[in-house]
Amino acid sequence: MENIIEIKNLVKKFGDFTAVNDISINIRKGEIFGLLGPNGAGKSTTINMILGLLSPTSGKIMVNGIDMQKEPEKARNEIGIVTQETVVEPELTGEQNLMIFGRLYHIPAAELKKDIDTALKLADLTDFKDAYAGTYSGGMKRRLETAKSLMHAPEIMLLDEPTTGLDIQNRAKIWDVLRGINRNQNVTILMTTQYLEEADQLCNRIGIIDHGKLIALGTPTELRQKIGAGNMIEVSVDKDDLQKVAAVFKKAGLEPKILTNKVVAAGGSKGTEKITELVKAISASRIAIHNISMHEPTIDDVFLKLTGSEVRDTTGDFQGGRGRMMMGRGR
Amino acid sequence: MGLLGDTYTLFLREMLIFKKNMTMNIARSLMFPLIFILVLGSFGSSPKNVPIAVVNYDNGLGALRLINLLQSGNNVEVISATTQQQAMALLSKSTVAAVVVIPTGFTQSGGTDGSIYVYLDNSQPQSTAVASADVNAAASQLGAKTAVSSVGKPGIISVIANYAYGAGSNYISFVVGGLLVMVVSFGAVFTAGFTMLSDRELGNLKAFLTTPINKFAILLSKIFYGTFQSFFSAFVGLIIGLMYGATIAAGIVGFFELIWIIFLVGFGFSAMAIALAARTKQLQTYALVGQTIIMPLSFLGGAFVPTALLPAFLLPIVTVNPLTYAVNAVRDVMIKGFLPTATLVSVSAILLTFTAVMTALAFILFRDTSKQLT
Repeated sequence: MENIIEIKNLVKKFGDFTAVNDISINIRKGEIFGLLGPNGAGKSTTINMILGLLSPTSGKIMVNGIDMQKEPEKARNEIGIVTQETVVEPELTGEQNLMIFGRLYHIPAAELKKDIDTALKLADLTDFKDAYAGTYSGGMKRRLETAKSLMHAPEIMLLDEPTTGLDIQNRAKIWDVLRGINRNQNVTILMTTQYLEEADQLCNRIGIIDHGKLIALGTPTELRQKIGAGNMIEVSVDKDDLQKVAAVFKKAGLEPKILTNKVVAAGGSKGTEKITELVKAISASRIAIHNISMHEPTIDDVFLKLTGSEVRDTTGDFQGGRGRMMMGRGR
Repeated sequence: MGLLGDTYTLFLREMLIFKKNMTMNIARSLMFPLIFILVLGSFGSSPKNVPIAVVNYDNGLGALRLINLLQSGNNVEVISATTQQQAMALLSKSTVAAVVVIPTGFTQSGGTDGSIYVYLDNSQPQSTAVASADVNAAASQLGAKTAVSSVGKPGIISVIANYAYGAGSNYISFVVGGLLVMVVSFGAVFTAGFTMLSDRELGNLKAFLTTPINKFAILLSKIFYGTFQSFFSAFVGLIIGLMYGATIAAGIVGFFELIWIIFLVGFGFSAMAIALAARTKQLQTYALVGQTIIMPLSFLGGAFVPTALLPAFLLPIVTVNPLTYAVNAVRDVMIKGFLPTATLVSVSAILLTFTAVMTALAFILFRDTSKQLT
């Protein structure tokens, strides 16, 4: 399959902090590619380099055959972008928002009107086109922004955490829009996300990055297979008991990982037997089990296995720490 | 499309936002000039019944006629003093604004070529101006030669003091002239810079940078918008000033010269604002720095205090301050009534050079887009 974005040995350093450490990814034409990782993993830095806003310390980015560093303006015309923050101008109407961006993407005046109408229809905002965007709900703004970035019919759509902060309903709506443009207009989508569920459901392929390095790349199924056969077993207990429960897991021949309030392990082929064994042993040690569950491995589990930590949008210790470090570099 | 097309699109965006907030924009433009003219303008309204002390050593008919003339209007209130010493004491306590000494022999000289001595207290220029004008008018009606001398130099007949504004001129024109320059320069710094910072904060700036436009179009559109907005405010200020009684001595030509100078000041200071805003992330920082720069510049430009009265160590700032030249030109047009072509050319050149330098600086600071990512 043809590669539409080629990222070769991309490195970005801020001072002596390496935000992106030798990443190489080829995005294939027509796929939905998810870039997954915790806060501060280097996702946004990578995206900013693909957009030509940051220049790489070393490495190369080709967008549809155009070298981003040599011809950034030309390369940007190939990309439609939805940024992390919803960017619509609240003091302009929906239609005016689209008009301004249509002009900035150099859509010919003769086609602009038609393109605006199409975009309004796509965003399901035709009835609200004359209302100021400031009066829109969060979901409407997001849809307007998505439609805005599609107006110039780019071959590539780049979304930086498109659904962060949205409720389930609006998230599902955005997914529908993305699937629609991917299928109907054959737009390649590159998105970053912190939501594993999102990546799992939406993406054809996923790249997981952490500490600026690409640590896994493949289809959701391939990545799940990395866990090994069988389901995941989770046991939630009091914090004080986590170590004891982990010891029980080990005795049962499992490889436990201790999280904030639970112990997790891949169950292997005899997961059901193991879980009975675990419950018996834990009860025998007089430890109160808050919750116990078995589920098919998700990307979450892959991430846990690969990095030893959970992906969360809450500020875990290590995430917060790195976040601050990034700020300290004065990005 | 190119740079100009992209600039036009972004300028169009600013204008649509401006149109949406029209009422607010007009209100804001009205507020500053109104408050200023009401507060500062009333300082300049000619005071009535200004007390002056008259020492009559002559006691002749000529002296009586002079005193009668002084008393006839209601501009000054004549207080008789028996000795010059007593009168000077009143002056030093600011009880009176001027002392008029009519020397012995004033009548003998026929009241035609005799001198009278006038001492003025410069601490209250408005009252002093009224007193001085009134005494001069009365004396010249009699044909006496008057001379004005400052306190502390009694008896020395010297040239008539050179006031910031002519003794008979319209103070409100003086205030409005300074006000226009102040409104346009403040307006430029605050509107142009603030829109840039709020666009950065809302992510608009990054969104513009991800489009295939020439990134300098962003700067140019902001400079043009700042120029427009500040000019709009100053124009409203000018109309209010004219309605309030300011005059443009140079007439209709002066009106257009005034508009041209105001426009150039707005242009230059919008460019300066964008240079300042090119890297500044926080609104508070910008407001502080902007204030720190524009406040001294507007005061040291002579908008309200004549530059001649400033201490010597400030003179280098006065010289390099583009507002100095703008204020002088505005005063020429509004008060003197004549702006030499050479001055018009030089002031235009100075302001346009300032604009060019600031625009270049903004471009340099904006070149590295990675600094725009918050």
